[in-house]
Amino acid sequence: MPYHEFECSKCIPERKKHAVTKGPGEDLTHALPLGYLNTIPGSISERGCAYCGAKHVIGTPMKDVIHISHGPTGCTYDTWQTKRYISDNDNFQLKRTFATDVKEKHIVFGAEKVLKQNIIEAFKAFPDIKRMTIYQTCATALIGDDIDAIADEVMEEMPDVDIFVCNSPGFAGPSQSGGHHKINIAWINKKVGNVEPKITSDYVINYVGEYNIQGDQEIMLDFFRRMGIQVLSTFTGNGSYDELRAMHRAHLNVLECARSAEYICNELRTRYGIPRLDIDGFGFEPLSSSLLKVGRFFGIEDRAQKIIDEETARWKPELEWYRERLLGKKVCLWPGGSKLWHWAHVIHDEMGLDVVSVYTKFGHQGDMEKGIARCEVGALAIDDPNELEGLEAMYKLKPDIIFTGKRPGEVAKKIRVPYLNAHAYHNGPYKGYEGWVRFARDIYNAIYSPIHQLSFLDITRDGIPDEGGFKTQRMLSDTSLSEEVRKSNYMREYTGTLDIITPLREKSYPEFNKKP
Amino acid sequence: MADINEKIAQLENFIMKKCLWQFHSRAWDRKNQNENILRMTAELLCGETVNTDDPADRCYWVDAVYLADSYRERFDWLASMSKDEIRELFLALRERLDYVLVDGSLNEELTDPRY
Repeated sequence: MPYHEFECSKCIPERKKHAVTKGPGEDLTHALPLGYLNTIPGSISERGCAYCGAKHVIGTPMKDVIHISHGPTGCTYDTWQTKRYISDNDNFQLKRTFATDVKEKHIVFGAEKVLKQNIIEAFKAFPDIKRMTIYQTCATALIGDDIDAIADEVMEEMPDVDIFVCNSPGFAGPSQSGGHHKINIAWINKKVGNVEPKITSDYVINYVGEYNIQGDQEIMLDFFRRMGIQVLSTFTGNGSYDELRAMHRAHLNVLECARSAEYICNELRTRYGIPRLDIDGFGFEPLSSSLLKVGRFFGIEDRAQKIIDEETARWKPELEWYRERLLGKKVCLWPGGSKLWHWAHVIHDEMGLDVVSVYTKFGHQGDMEKGIARCEVGALAIDDPNELEGLEAMYKLKPDIIFTGKRPGEVAKKIRVPYLNAHAYHNGPYKGYEGWVRFARDIYNAIYSPIHQLSFLDITRDGIPDEGGFKTQRMLSDTSLSEEVRKSNYMREYTGTLDIITPLREKSYPEFNKKP
Repeated sequence: MADINEKIAQLENFIMKKCLWQFHSRAWDRKNQNENILRMTAELLCGETVNTDDPADRCYWVDAVYLADSYRERFDWLASMSKDEIRELFLALRERLDYVLVDGSLNEELTDPRY
């Protein structure tokens, strides 16, 4: 498993130990990229900062909260709306973002007064919202504003409100991952145990490390409710502030994104004895085994099996339709952190895609261990790549598509590689059985887009072809398929609807009697 | 029939591809996971009763059941092994995982006190 040196980064020799090619017969003890280190000077990183990790990734998916940044408006603006973590309260936290609008005079004379004014003003502007999180930023951290003291003052003056202070300024870590850690620990230290929940089931879980991207959480919530499981809280997608204060009463923590939320699971395990079960919510087989594990923990695996049978029968023929058309397509799997290992094996096993590269922007070496273990031999694993390295890798590996964020995604489009948004999705949700088919459909649509085919023409050099007419996706995707596949009565294209989340919010669930 | 090293490689490969429990972030936690889940998996494959009274044990057990079921389905050669042979195999598998994931690991964060 040799380290890989990029031509473009020969002038930054430290970068060499951040990329590795998975070799045949080798294991994780042969080579592992360095990770979670300060960005090397000269390498233009695509990472976010520790403030972004705390606020944008973990904090703001909480739905019934005024999320306010104590700092310049740019900090809050740049961590607003780009991730589609929807919520069932009309997306309050997604529609609005708040900042104290700190200016030069506040840096000179202090910004505590303006902070207090802003807190009160925001609560008065939204009288139905009684919870707030305040995020420290670089500027106000450096001048030493005591946010906790101001929050305490306001809570004394307004006893019906509760405020959480997150002290994770942008400089407090090599990447957004530093912010994940800080907000996890701050939440359990300051808020967990403050509220006693109403327990309505014999089976109670916290669903942790799930951010409800385009409805992922609500899809999983549907499965848990069908099993009669009470989801006490979700950390933090579509999660409620007060429910998250009651995390200590769950029987099991079901952990999805270990990169961003294992810290609170580990603390809940140590302080309250709640075990941690890591699961995969993506892909038919990993999701099925995950539901079975959760069911088995409570002795209700039959309820999980019923869901698995129903969902598999409904959606497998549609997944197979796309698999036949995606077989052998090459993918660069370049997400932020956890999806490199959530997806690396299962897009290969269930969609037939070949993962030629995995990368992580802010992951740790533990994420690389998981990603490299799960991807196939020959894949190039890169930690915290810069833009030039990304370009060099794409020219070398010639992927048919990349799954990444919008910044590197736009770069890929410039060299005619289609991309899917791995963070905010295109037409999600991607979790659940139907969600996994939606993901396959998005991949198919991206690779076989007739419009994308036109991008391969260089109009400065090539003539515009005026023969043969317009090619449809099916004409592009089905040329090499056997007749048996093309005319299969079993397989079919996606038959779901545009919005699969709203109906779940009105759904009723079977009642399972609680043991006396 | 596969020799013991080949068998261990097959069992290890399945864990590394399909499971997540072996990748906890601390060295002591990884060893703990390896010890408990692999011990319980061996007990299940030997047809023995596994103690699941404690919530922590129950959590290890659900991963062990998945592993035992998957191994039975994929590796026919397990059915022809005696209980002693299975126990010996799983002790060797645990040693191997401890090496790959902890003792021989290149992950510099496993023992980082500030993690």
